[in-house]
Amino acid sequence: MKNSLFLSAAIALASTAASAQTLRIPHELGYGGSESLDPISPQRFYEAIQNMYSRLVRQGDDGRPSPDLALNWETTPDAKEWTFALRPGVTFHNGNTFTAEDVAFSLMRTQSETIQSPTKGVMEIIDRVEVVDDMTVKVVLKQTHADFPLLVMDYRIKMLDAETCGHNLDALCESGNGTGPYKMVELDALGTTTLARFDDYYGGLPGAENLELIAIADQDARVAALQAGQIDFIYALSAEQVPLFANNPNFTVQTVPTGRWIGMIMNTTVAPFDDARVRKAIRMSADRDVLGKLVFGEDNYITNCDHPVWPGDQYRADIACERDIEGAKALLAEAGFADGLTVELFVSDITEGAVRMAEVLQNQAKDAGITIEMVRVPADGFWSDVWMKEPFFATGWSQRPADQVLNEAYSSTSAWNESAWQSEEFDAGLEAARAELDFDKRKELYGDLQRQIWEDGGSFIPVHLKTVRAFSSNLSGIDPVEDFSIRYENLTKEAD
Amino acid sequence: MPTLILRRFGFAAFTIAFVSMIMFAAVEALPGNVCTSFLQRLAQGPRLERCIEQQGLDRPAIERYADWASGALKGDFGYSLKKRKPINEVIGERLANTALLGGLATFLAIPLAVFLGIVAGVRRDRPLDLSLSGIAMLAMTIPEFVTATALIYVFAIVLQWFPAVTVMRSGMGFFDMLPNVVLPVLVLSAVLIAHIMRMMRASVIDVMASDYVQMARLKGVPERQIIRRHVVPNAMIPALNVIALTVAWLLAGVVVVEKVFNYPGLGTLMIQAIYDRDLPLVLSVALIFSAIYVAVNLLADLAALMIDPRLRRGGH
Repeated sequence: MKNSLFLSAAIALASTAASAQTLRIPHELGYGGSESLDPISPQRFYEAIQNMYSRLVRQGDDGRPSPDLALNWETTPDAKEWTFALRPGVTFHNGNTFTAEDVAFSLMRTQSETIQSPTKGVMEIIDRVEVVDDMTVKVVLKQTHADFPLLVMDYRIKMLDAETCGHNLDALCESGNGTGPYKMVELDALGTTTLARFDDYYGGLPGAENLELIAIADQDARVAALQAGQIDFIYALSAEQVPLFANNPNFTVQTVPTGRWIGMIMNTTVAPFDDARVRKAIRMSADRDVLGKLVFGEDNYITNCDHPVWPGDQYRADIACERDIEGAKALLAEAGFADGLTVELFVSDITEGAVRMAEVLQNQAKDAGITIEMVRVPADGFWSDVWMKEPFFATGWSQRPADQVLNEAYSSTSAWNESAWQSEEFDAGLEAARAELDFDKRKELYGDLQRQIWEDGGSFIPVHLKTVRAFSSNLSGIDPVEDFSIRYENLTKEAD
Repeated sequence: MPTLILRRFGFAAFTIAFVSMIMFAAVEALPGNVCTSFLQRLAQGPRLERCIEQQGLDRPAIERYADWASGALKGDFGYSLKKRKPINEVIGERLANTALLGGLATFLAIPLAVFLGIVAGVRRDRPLDLSLSGIAMLAMTIPEFVTATALIYVFAIVLQWFPAVTVMRSGMGFFDMLPNVVLPVLVLSAVLIAHIMRMMRASVIDVMASDYVQMARLKGVPERQIIRRHVVPNAMIPALNVIALTVAWLLAGVVVVEKVFNYPGLGTLMIQAIYDRDLPLVLSVALIFSAIYVAVNLLADLAALMIDPRLRRGGH
């Protein structure tokens, strides 16, 4: 058989041209090939899972929970028992009917000791799940939570088929059998994973016939692949990569806000940071807009007043935090540092921008008489030896809903209470917010908590980051929402 | 003669052993360990203790090195926590892919480079030599990632003849793989050819000026025969070492080139392992690289012994 290089190249190109209705999405290979199809596995294959399974509720345009597999829900006045009415007539990819039993199974397995899911901590709030009838399920909580639907809106809390998983709460279930818009055809995490449209999807027929998840670990290689037409879509462009696509009619560029942040944390129990005035003075010395521009580039950030709640969150409070050098100096003088203050800041390349952010803060704080001595430490061992060990250090968090991040990073008993903040007022406020059934009042309570962190907390969180993505201009239907909320079933692709 | 060969082998084995110790010590010296790098923020309390116990990290470093080294000798590199797989399994296919890339580049580059070097040397300072040497100079000075990016731009983005990055599909045969390796092989061989060709050229020029070539000329041996019988074999000896060094360079080149082309080989595995702080995997791949390096140099030594009778005498 005679087979020239050019011939096989031509064949390869011809076969991609023929499959115009195939959406090709890069897969970042975050777990290096050990990707799991179980949504609650620590190694979840996120790009596949997002398209194969559905949640009870999904994020609406206003950031609030909106129906998905659950059509509506109600709670008892103490917000401890939640009853969900399920969508009838939904089938799994293998033809099984979706029922209340599947919901009970999917929720309870998140607590498994053997699976050790990252969702375990949050979902342990569930005491038990009662199957009322085939289409109704009642979730009983151990404690009050007025926003319980938010917890099941998490992108990992997907509904699995209890029968397919053998009703086993303690084993990973990697069958891929879900109710989502696409079903698994072939899993090949290191190469090309193929999914096909699920004709009986309850949300209507998905746009593209096939979905290919193509493993490309390196961002520069992904950029080249999009330029060469090997993929249709790319996430998380860096500021340098944006111009490659911005002025090219073959591509569309989209910038959307996210809840990702990088911050500098002060331990509130160690001098001089045990004085709230010192913490506030450091925060007041920063010009957040200038910092954002210098570190992340024009338009790639949204300024923030040192609390973790992101601009897209329904509970985000409006706080003003203009730079105030005089105010900062006055606070320092009050705290006994009239002649200036010298502190050490431990930073590392834990995430892009962390070191640059520390450098900018160092420069800005100078004007208020604060000398920040940067201590550069290796990224190896940062999380075990430096983070939460030194008095002043860098950190980074991914997007979380308000209640979750306020609990995880600020409540006094949390394992990840980075600033060692002990505030009874704050803890009580968190509990009150969870118990408040009226949305507006709850928003007010969560707003107070954010203001408390701005006034007294130990964080410096100057900006939330935006993300930039690019896609071929023959794609349509990509909503300007963060990556977790993109609905691939709504995407359509014109033939070239 | 056999003792000489045996000694070379002994020295190679010693080098690998020594390198493995240095690498192990270097990884030991890094802050953190396998468990803290795997668990990241969760590296606290009982979870960390359990991991340290499971991985046997509470034992002294020397004991752990002995375990690892004897495992590696038997061809068992241990287990990758991050990949949830034995390292052998992770490395296997990758090694084959890199071998395909490196092998093609080597077999394409060496004969071509030797041939071009001879041509350039024989035609010294003529237009052919000048243009060949000029191109070689260019290929040597441009870093491979620049060549790679330029090739991707021309052949993948503008002309669309070849894929820009490797997209693996299951059931890909050898011929499906070929379009993917064309550009990487071109990049790798460009540098290989340039280095080897320049050395070969210089070496040929040296030999052409030697007394025995003059003698042959005076005796009236035809020029063709002089080149074939006298120049080429003698010019090959110094060139062999450069070939070995350059092929060893290929290992570093492969890392960069694989990354640019998303090629699933040992190079991308190495980068991924470093990025993931998957220390056992980093150690294993580094050991394989150093073994290849030593083996290539050993081969060059042995080949030189074969070609050059002078080396076989004396206690060198």
